[in-house]
Amino acid sequence: MIDVVGYSKLYGDTVAVQSLSFHVAPGDVLGLVGPNGAGKTTTLRALAGILQPSAGAIRIAGIDLQAEPVAAKAQLAFIPDEPQLFDYLTVTEHLQFVARLYGVQDAAPRIPVLLEELELTAKRDALPSELSRGMKQKLAIACGLLHEPKALLLDEPLTGLDPVGIRRMKETISARARDGSAVILSSHLLHLVEELCTRLLVIRQGQAVAFGTIDEIVTARPELAGQSLEAIFIALTGG
Amino acid sequence: MTEQTAGAHPALRAAAALQFLYARTFINRLRRQIARVRSPRYLAAVCIGAFYLWWALFRNTGANELSVNRLLTSDITVVLGSAFLLFSSARWWLFGSDRGALAFTAAEVQFLFPAPITRRGLVHAKLVRMQLAILLNTVIFTIILRGNAGSLAAWQRGLALWMLFTTLAFHRLAAGIVRASAIEHGGAGRRRGIIPVVVFSLLLGAVLYGIVNSWPMLHAASVNGMRATFEVFVSALNAPVPSVALWPVRTLIAPISRVSSTEWPVAVLWSTGILLLHYVWLLRLDGAFEEAALEATQHRAERLQRFRSSQMGQARSRAGKLARIPKLALTGAPEVAIAWKNIAAALRGGAWRTQLIMFTIGLAALAVATRTASERIGDAFVGITIGWGAMLLFIGPLWMRFDLRLDLPRLAMFKTMPLPGWRIVMAEIAAVTLLHSITVWSLMVVPLVMFLQNPGMLLESGATVPLLVSVVVAVPFFNALMFTIQNGTALLFPAWVRLGTESRGFETMGQNLLTTGLTTIMAAVALVFPVGLGVLVVWLADDWNGWTVLGATVLGSLVIAAELFPVLHWLGAVFERTDVNEVTGST
Repeated sequence: MIDVVGYSKLYGDTVAVQSLSFHVAPGDVLGLVGPNGAGKTTTLRALAGILQPSAGAIRIAGIDLQAEPVAAKAQLAFIPDEPQLFDYLTVTEHLQFVARLYGVQDAAPRIPVLLEELELTAKRDALPSELSRGMKQKLAIACGLLHEPKALLLDEPLTGLDPVGIRRMKETISARARDGSAVILSSHLLHLVEELCTRLLVIRQGQAVAFGTIDEIVTARPELAGQSLEAIFIALTGG
Repeated sequence: MTEQTAGAHPALRAAAALQFLYARTFINRLRRQIARVRSPRYLAAVCIGAFYLWWALFRNTGANELSVNRLLTSDITVVLGSAFLLFSSARWWLFGSDRGALAFTAAEVQFLFPAPITRRGLVHAKLVRMQLAILLNTVIFTIILRGNAGSLAAWQRGLALWMLFTTLAFHRLAAGIVRASAIEHGGAGRRRGIIPVVVFSLLLGAVLYGIVNSWPMLHAASVNGMRATFEVFVSALNAPVPSVALWPVRTLIAPISRVSSTEWPVAVLWSTGILLLHYVWLLRLDGAFEEAALEATQHRAERLQRFRSSQMGQARSRAGKLARIPKLALTGAPEVAIAWKNIAAALRGGAWRTQLIMFTIGLAALAVATRTASERIGDAFVGITIGWGAMLLFIGPLWMRFDLRLDLPRLAMFKTMPLPGWRIVMAEIAAVTLLHSITVWSLMVVPLVMFLQNPGMLLESGATVPLLVSVVVAVPFFNALMFTIQNGTALLFPAWVRLGTESRGFETMGQNLLTTGLTTIMAAVALVFPVGLGVLVVWLADDWNGWTVLGATVLGSLVIAAELFPVLHWLGAVFERTDVNEVTGST
């Protein structure tokens, strides 16, 4: 569903990401972890079509993102860590906007369902300035889910959510994966990664240092056996 | 800084810190912008910009030295200029000052407000920050007016201009504080805030009294043409009552325009007095300042830099009702959604609709009044309307910013949209083109009302009707061209162009003047072929007064559209190539 082959990103002489290759199948939740500045957001932004790769190929649902960006983008949703909303559209109007943008045919019945799922029904006529940080995050996620993307890219999705919101969000992410979406989740919350992700991609200084299930990673590095994910993360990233 | 001020008085320590903050911010920003010149695109822009500045500021001013000097020192300029400034200041009080004048950045609030800095220190921080724009504009205007200064040296006019801009900026800031404080303090605040509103109402009333009092003379003079009418108008404003009302603003203008070098020190002394009074007034408002500034900052953070007229526009009414926008169909062309979103921003985030309604009603009323007064006054009003319309076409695209200038800070999100870049750019330009075309079309209410008043005029109109229809047809195409230039500039030079919808006050008038000049030149180049073709058609048909003009206008408009089509595709490609990091730093 998401295929990345030899992806590299350079800023001038600085290498942000170097020759990254991985595959996320439908139903998989890939945890993208690494220390600050490792290249996680750069990678997610490239997968979302925001940044042009310096080298390599990215395919979303079998469509080459560079060759057919419009078709590929129609299959994905990117939810950034900082929700980007329009100041003068209400919650419902944001979803109507996205419906039109992505050509969602059955948007009218889907919008109330999504609002209910993300606990936004009571705020459906509110402007972003009238929403809390967590509500804004939920709205950004609702906008991302409306067109039922085949590839879901989440950058720190739980930032600003309350405990109930976190639980609901985890359920939402798992449900999307069960429905066949390929999910990539970038987070520093290792317990979340451990709980939700089927596989891990650990990157450091723009390079992959581990990829696979936790068992596979431990098999490759037997000295990490029996350790917590936090300890494994620190060992892999040289923290 | 640390060693010198560590043991110093808190006020000195704060001043040193603020001086460090603003100096470093200015230098680093300048460095960053200069660093862009390594890119060929920016280098080309620097060369063109430098040539333009040289031409606009140094080469082009000498030619009309005498006429500019005459205009600058004429009674008409001084009186009308002071009336304009009085009405502008009154607008801040009666309709509310732009809160942008008060707002601090989020970082300033985080670092300065909890810091051991007095409220007075915060006021000074704001005043110092204003000075950058004021000084830049002072330099621009001093250069533009050099050689036209009559007996004044450049430094004398520069100083006078600086005092004018600074006083106006102080006044706008004070108006913002008083009004914001009045809102915060409910009934008590409103009672305090009512005094300046009453004062300004009286001042405006005095000016209107002078005009109404001279109405019969104005009416009689209108028979003798525009010049005679203006002369009577000026003497009406020079009468004792309006003269007293205009005295403060006239005193501020005096050192710039009309005094000889011997009178200048006295004029400047008066001007300094008014400036100092404003300064003291601001210092006395320091208590209200902190909360008003915080409130304004929060307002800005929440509503992201409203348009110039934001003081009148509200996303929600006092009753909590949301301003209505057209309904968006859930299916159809996706770019319509982007245009719809921008129209929603204009309707909810600005005062476009309110101003349009007031503007149209005002124009209609004036059309009726002037045509009823006399045919000549009516003609003069039509002339003023045409002049205003022409000005709107060129300045409007600077004011109306609900396009890429609003959305580029969210470039990352736009890049995830399943649309090619050119369709996004087109949608962004289409919305503002439509809104601004409606604004310009609203001027048509003047001939419409006059035709309704006297239906016979319609039959005798000759070339007027074809010309009016031609204008209606040409306006959206011309606007599309102007907004393409504005958006193209923002897209090509995001690191240099100010993004967001917030516009600024008098202190940035000079930059706006230069920007308008440059876009006008670019538009003129783009119009060579369409206008040339239109003129050729009319010339071949030898029908300058008939419907051939409309045919030529349609043809010229189609040529503009044909010119814009490849430009939009090119800008779309630029949009797709633009790195989000290049834009992030420019907001």
